[in-house]
Amino acid sequence: MAQARKIQQLDLKGEICPYPMMLTNKELDENSPGIEELEIITDHSPALSTIPPQALKRGYDCQIEEIKNGEWKILLTKQVGEYD
Amino acid sequence: MSKILSQKQISTNQSWDWQIVLGIFSLFISVLIGYLLTQSKGVVGIIWVLSIFAGFTLQKSRLCFASAFRDIFLFGSAQNLKGILLGLFISTIAFSFVMYWIIPNPELGSIPSDAHILKTGLSTIIGGVLFGLGMVISGGCVSGSLYRIGEGYVASFVTIVGVIIGLGLLSLTWNWWWDNLISSEKTIWLPAVNGIGYSGSIVITSLLLLIVLLACIFTETKSGQVNFPIQKSDSQLISFRDRTKDIFNKFFSREWPIYVGASVLGITSMFMFMVSHPFGVTGEVFRWSNGLMKLVDISVPVHKGLESLSGCVANASENSSIITISSAMTIGVIPGSLTAALLSREFKIRAPKDLKRYIQSIIGGIMMGYAAGLAIGCTVGSFFSSIPSLSLSGWVFGGSLAVGAFLGVQVIKKI
Repeated sequence: MAQARKIQQLDLKGEICPYPMMLTNKELDENSPGIEELEIITDHSPALSTIPPQALKRGYDCQIEEIKNGEWKILLTKQVGEYD
Repeated sequence: MSKILSQKQISTNQSWDWQIVLGIFSLFISVLIGYLLTQSKGVVGIIWVLSIFAGFTLQKSRLCFASAFRDIFLFGSAQNLKGILLGLFISTIAFSFVMYWIIPNPELGSIPSDAHILKTGLSTIIGGVLFGLGMVISGGCVSGSLYRIGEGYVASFVTIVGVIIGLGLLSLTWNWWWDNLISSEKTIWLPAVNGIGYSGSIVITSLLLLIVLLACIFTETKSGQVNFPIQKSDSQLISFRDRTKDIFNKFFSREWPIYVGASVLGITSMFMFMVSHPFGVTGEVFRWSNGLMKLVDISVPVHKGLESLSGCVANASENSSIITISSAMTIGVIPGSLTAALLSREFKIRAPKDLKRYIQSIIGGIMMGYAAGLAIGCTVGSFFSSIPSLSLSGWVFGGSLAVGAFLGVQVIKKI
């Protein structure tokens, strides 16, 4: 698989609302020209419903995967193509 | 626009995870305690079981009053608040039946003494604003922090320690507030005002809820809040085993929508009201504060007027036995959410790495504790159980919570 390139990771374990969402937004907004892919690790389940809408608004697709008990990985990928 | 969101559940080959085993064990123990309490102490046991269920519901739906008030100002999302509005509507109807049963004629001047009909005035406003500020700084209100202890959140435990300190400080200064403010404030029960009655009160409450709902929708529209479709990678349900497992999963391991959680919590609170008084959690913490202070030789004053009031803090004030209705109602939340977290394999000891978060937790907790004492309850007792009690105080407290949350958002944006 094409998993050779390094994906930027943001480890937010231990952070609770609203910080997982705020720190993700900060990471996405402050890096120009923009992050292609960002992997977020969180153990705060409400973040699973706060991060995606904010990321979608910024043009990222989200994939949520439970990696172990009470821990999730959210993969944000920049949307490509002619869509806005 | 192509918006993709996919969600994958952990692959469950070893479906008998240790968390599930412990979850079943914890459920069994909780129910057993409930049974024993019912045998020996009657109503206390019933309240214990209802409180376990409330804790379970809070965890499953991740109901969070702090985020409900905060997220509107922080990023224009009203998802949580909208759920709570539905919960309030349903409990308003449910509570009205119970109150009608106790007091059929509200015009005659008596009020249902166990309902959360509280003093309305400056103390409610100060309490609400301070509580709102505190819950945004600490990241969870009193009930939120209690059920998160059951999920393994270390910072929430620190918050509750703060709440105990805050309620202790309030306990020492209560008489000043009583003399200067609270004693002259009035309790306003809508059905007793100028012949409004139950039906009028329900109409007024519903209209107010509708106005708030419209304001929520307006805020979401303005902020461009996006709702997204979730593509679930569920496989087809074919066998009997898979279908049964799916029902089990829906109840025990998947998240409940917030509006379901809030409605179930409202109905649970109504059952508590039917056997004793509506759901509330700060009363017991107030008792702990006073008990701890006596333990370290701090003299706790006799609280003037508190016995004449209803609501959480007043309900629990003078009772020396350890196992009471208020202790069952408060403590039960923790094993309830622990059970829910274990059954959905979400229990984990979670500790923030940043020292700042612990400081936020304790300071926010102290603010909430003091405020909850002043307002005779927290987001649950003085808001979620008070609006359905058709008490004006619930609305004043709720509005003040929003002001406090707005101020809190300004604070957390800077730190």
